[in-house]
Amino acid sequence: MSAPGEFRFVSRDRRVREDRRFVAGRGRYVADIERPGMLHVALVHSPHPAARILSIESQAALALPGVRLVLTGEQLAAAVEPLMNGLDTPHVQRYPMAVGQARYAGEWVAAVVADTRAIAEDAAELVEVAYEPLPFVIDAEEAYTPQSTPVHEKHGSNVLLDRTFVWGEVEEHFAQSDHKLALRVTWGRNSTVPIETFGVVASWDPWSDTLDVWASIQMPKYADQIARALRLPGNGVRVHYDVDVGGSYGVKRGIKHTVLVGHLSRLLNRPVRLIEDRLENMRSGDAHGPDRIFDVEVAFNSDGVVNSMKMRALDNAGAYAGRAPFQLGKPIGAIVGPYRIKSVRYQAVSVTSNKAAQEAVRGFGQAPTNYAIESMMDRVAAHVGIDRLEVRRRNFIGADEFPYLIPSGTRYDSGDYHTVMDKVLAHVEWPALLAERDRLRATGMLAGIGVAACLEPSGGNSSFEPLLNEKNNTTTWMESVRINVDALGTVSVMIHTTSSGQGHETLASTVVGEALGLDPDKIRVVRPDSLASLPGNSPVGSRMAIMMGGAAHLAAGKLIDKCKAIAAHQFGCADEAVDYASGSVIERATGRTLAWADLVGVAHRNHHLLPDGMQPGLEATHIYQVPNASELPVDGRIQMYPCHSFEFHMTLVAIDPILGKVEFRRYVIGHDCGVVINPHIVKGMTLGGIAHGIGAALMEEFVYGEDGQMMSQTFMDYLLPSSHEMPHVEIVHHCTPSPLTVLGQKGSGESGYLGAPAAVSGAINDAVAPLGLRFEKLPIRLTKISDAVAAASPKQDRTL
Amino acid sequence: MKAAAFSYVRPSTLAEACAILRADEDARLIAGGQTLAPMMAMRLARPSQLVDIARLPELAGVADAGDALVFGAAVRQAEAERSPLVAARLPLLAKALPWVGHQPTRSRGTIGGSVANADPAAEIPLVLATLGGAVDFMTCDGPGHIAAQDFFAGPMMTALPADAVLTAVRFPVWSTPVGVGFHEISARRSDFAYVSAAAQASFDEDGVCIACTLGLGGAAAVPTRLESVALKLAGRRMTDAEIAEALEEAVAALEIMTDSYASPEYRRRVAKELGARALRDARDSAPGSRP
Repeated sequence: MSAPGEFRFVSRDRRVREDRRFVAGRGRYVADIERPGMLHVALVHSPHPAARILSIESQAALALPGVRLVLTGEQLAAAVEPLMNGLDTPHVQRYPMAVGQARYAGEWVAAVVADTRAIAEDAAELVEVAYEPLPFVIDAEEAYTPQSTPVHEKHGSNVLLDRTFVWGEVEEHFAQSDHKLALRVTWGRNSTVPIETFGVVASWDPWSDTLDVWASIQMPKYADQIARALRLPGNGVRVHYDVDVGGSYGVKRGIKHTVLVGHLSRLLNRPVRLIEDRLENMRSGDAHGPDRIFDVEVAFNSDGVVNSMKMRALDNAGAYAGRAPFQLGKPIGAIVGPYRIKSVRYQAVSVTSNKAAQEAVRGFGQAPTNYAIESMMDRVAAHVGIDRLEVRRRNFIGADEFPYLIPSGTRYDSGDYHTVMDKVLAHVEWPALLAERDRLRATGMLAGIGVAACLEPSGGNSSFEPLLNEKNNTTTWMESVRINVDALGTVSVMIHTTSSGQGHETLASTVVGEALGLDPDKIRVVRPDSLASLPGNSPVGSRMAIMMGGAAHLAAGKLIDKCKAIAAHQFGCADEAVDYASGSVIERATGRTLAWADLVGVAHRNHHLLPDGMQPGLEATHIYQVPNASELPVDGRIQMYPCHSFEFHMTLVAIDPILGKVEFRRYVIGHDCGVVINPHIVKGMTLGGIAHGIGAALMEEFVYGEDGQMMSQTFMDYLLPSSHEMPHVEIVHHCTPSPLTVLGQKGSGESGYLGAPAAVSGAINDAVAPLGLRFEKLPIRLTKISDAVAAASPKQDRTL
Repeated sequence: MKAAAFSYVRPSTLAEACAILRADEDARLIAGGQTLAPMMAMRLARPSQLVDIARLPELAGVADAGDALVFGAAVRQAEAERSPLVAARLPLLAKALPWVGHQPTRSRGTIGGSVANADPAAEIPLVLATLGGAVDFMTCDGPGHIAAQDFFAGPMMTALPADAVLTAVRFPVWSTPVGVGFHEISARRSDFAYVSAAAQASFDEDGVCIACTLGLGGAAAVPTRLESVALKLAGRRMTDAEIAEALEEAVAALEIMTDSYASPEYRRRVAKELGARALRDARDSAPGSRP
């Protein structure tokens, strides 16, 4: 963290302003929105993984008192535009509900609107759909074969994306290296599974031609996409950003839900609400994360120095393209991790299957990639017989090498990986930790230490879009903040997005308070609706500390400039002759001061005292472009995210060899996200991310059976780690400021999750290595560990 | 996740509750609702009416009958967990109760409800089976009584007549001082156990086992008392080796449940291990044991 004294409010131990209302249960979520005459939606789901829809009979449902409408996927498709498709795959069309054919078990086939959700559910059971089951494919490798049944017949195959990048002299480096090895690791399909499912209320007002939308969203360009799909002008949709969002980490996109209820509201001239239930969220919400097989080849020297890597990532996108293919693209910006790997061949393959579609999930594909890279580093270390830490140390990019250009075209801004690792080793007293592992082993437990070193690219642009789709030439990913000082001298900061736990109100008020030298607690943060908002891209890609923080800081700078100009005019001196501090402007030479109240008074009431040509009022706006990213790709290379946070995980686990249960004895993370704006928010992100990563490593998975049905449909089967499973986490701080950002800050919204799965997997593999075992597929369930240990152990009964 | 339509009644007497059940075969009893309510929300259960028996005076309270503690069926699990009587007289149940669901679910869930639900992985039925307890019930025809070994018929199935109200659960209390052991394994704390094991043992002054009992949950279709283990270990000192030997055969003879959570091999291996741990704990915590 930053040196004490450098900031008054930033990095300080200050309360998170949002916490009060959340802890007291006074948040205002979409389900708290009540509109007069509001109707409710329930869905009819396909029971088949693939089936032609022969007919939909809704008479019985409509006969039920309180039922207003049954809408089929076909009827909806006739009235709206297809949902946005990021790739250039025109024959992989997607509408909110199945049209003619259902492509996964649980897909929406029809919607029922009724006076209450309970009546809508009763009626949904009465909708009779005749299906003709079709062949289906669940497995990604099978889907990748030319003979597999295409999920979208017109597309001709299941391949959405199959692109090979070669960055550097890969073959040459392979030929020159002492050793090569190959490995395969598999990342199970998990997600973020928020406490609050997705919800939306849409209300059409024919007298103002406006669709008002309240939604549980974390979605860039949400209003634009809704307007486009509903064939409304952009200013015909008003999204209310002042609803709290009960968790997201990527998945709260809800385009199909919103297009559906938006259309229904227009059709029925009534407010319409759809709140997913848990089953809908898990099975039909299109909110699963990456589902990925990595085949990695690595070329390295006898001293453990890695020269080159070939990686094929095969991702099972599910039934529609969605964001899944792009989640193979984002990791290109950190494809070598924190290591000095000279060249890379990367093959990104995304295939459709008859699973639910994916959505963006925390890290946007980076956590699986980090798991593959870190598994590779452990294997390299074992192969050359050098300690895992030493191998990492030898491959780390040095603190003096930044900015560091990686082969795929991204420049890492800053970092000090060696120091962070050394701080963690000092904190755990490495020899003592090793001794503790060996002591545990001597008691008959399996015990292992896992490490993971990885990056959190932050400041989210979406450079992967032009990289993977030549028709996309987007290079702008802005965020905007407006500051207004009213005639009474109080400050309001306008932010233009919803928040799903990121603490944007604390962020914006802290940064503006710091810049203006005013108490952040007295600064109000306001969220105008989308029609009153400046452009932005919402909180994705760990961007808001950088982007909203940057916009807020720069807007405050403009406000300060105006204050200085007002005072300099009053003093009859040059603008350069005055300083701004804590709300006052002081003439350097004379010490003459114009206090805040006077500055506000001149701006609002004394036009005769304003400099010539200056507009009245005290207001400033900044629309901030992502630093260091304005170019289109060249030769498959591009600058992905601008900033790079670093995390170094170390964990000691003990495993009962018969029960297979993994117990955490120690969990330490060294974390460097540059200058921290609010330490409590960063700590919360990191602890939550580690919990999420432990879930991915040990228990969370959306499992599909051979019959194409999703088996983990409830929290009895999709297992989230609870507070019982969460170890005490020790955080070791380090601060390498980013040279690209206003305060030196980097992102931390994905911290913890990016390395925890690799660290936990590494610890388990260290524990079972003496038995000759290795787990290469996540999640590693306890029963799997026990069964493997039993099969590997010499036949003996420990109870004897 | 909205329940299908149903009606709700709260009879003021046990007789009234019995009459409703007799008249409507789709009526279901509700007390704590910790299993039934989510089942209804998922529409996996669709009762025509809910008969709320939580406040019936006939189903309240814990009575000490000398050789047993008798729990009114509507006694909340949390109440039993806090009861000094249970801690003193039924240490095995006291040890198992913290494993039942979570604290908030125990505040609502009842002893009788858990027994009537007959989940093969549930802790209270396991303790009942391990101690060889019994249940009392009432129908319009009068009271009835079923021993635990005859009560549990399969996963979520019991010998209780369809129109009966389970009124009381009887847990035997041994006349000699006991030691107890309880272990279970699940993916997360308080999830349904893959396997659980409950044991109780009593020793004479010479350190010889007078009586012992071991039950396994989660492993088979019903909570199962391993009679052969009790027979083998009675009259012995219950050394680790004797425990292991007794378990070897008994677990091999068990009909192990199969599902997607754990392989049958896992359940058998872990049943043996947790059974041994529970027995060793029972032995080591019993007054007078000298293995």
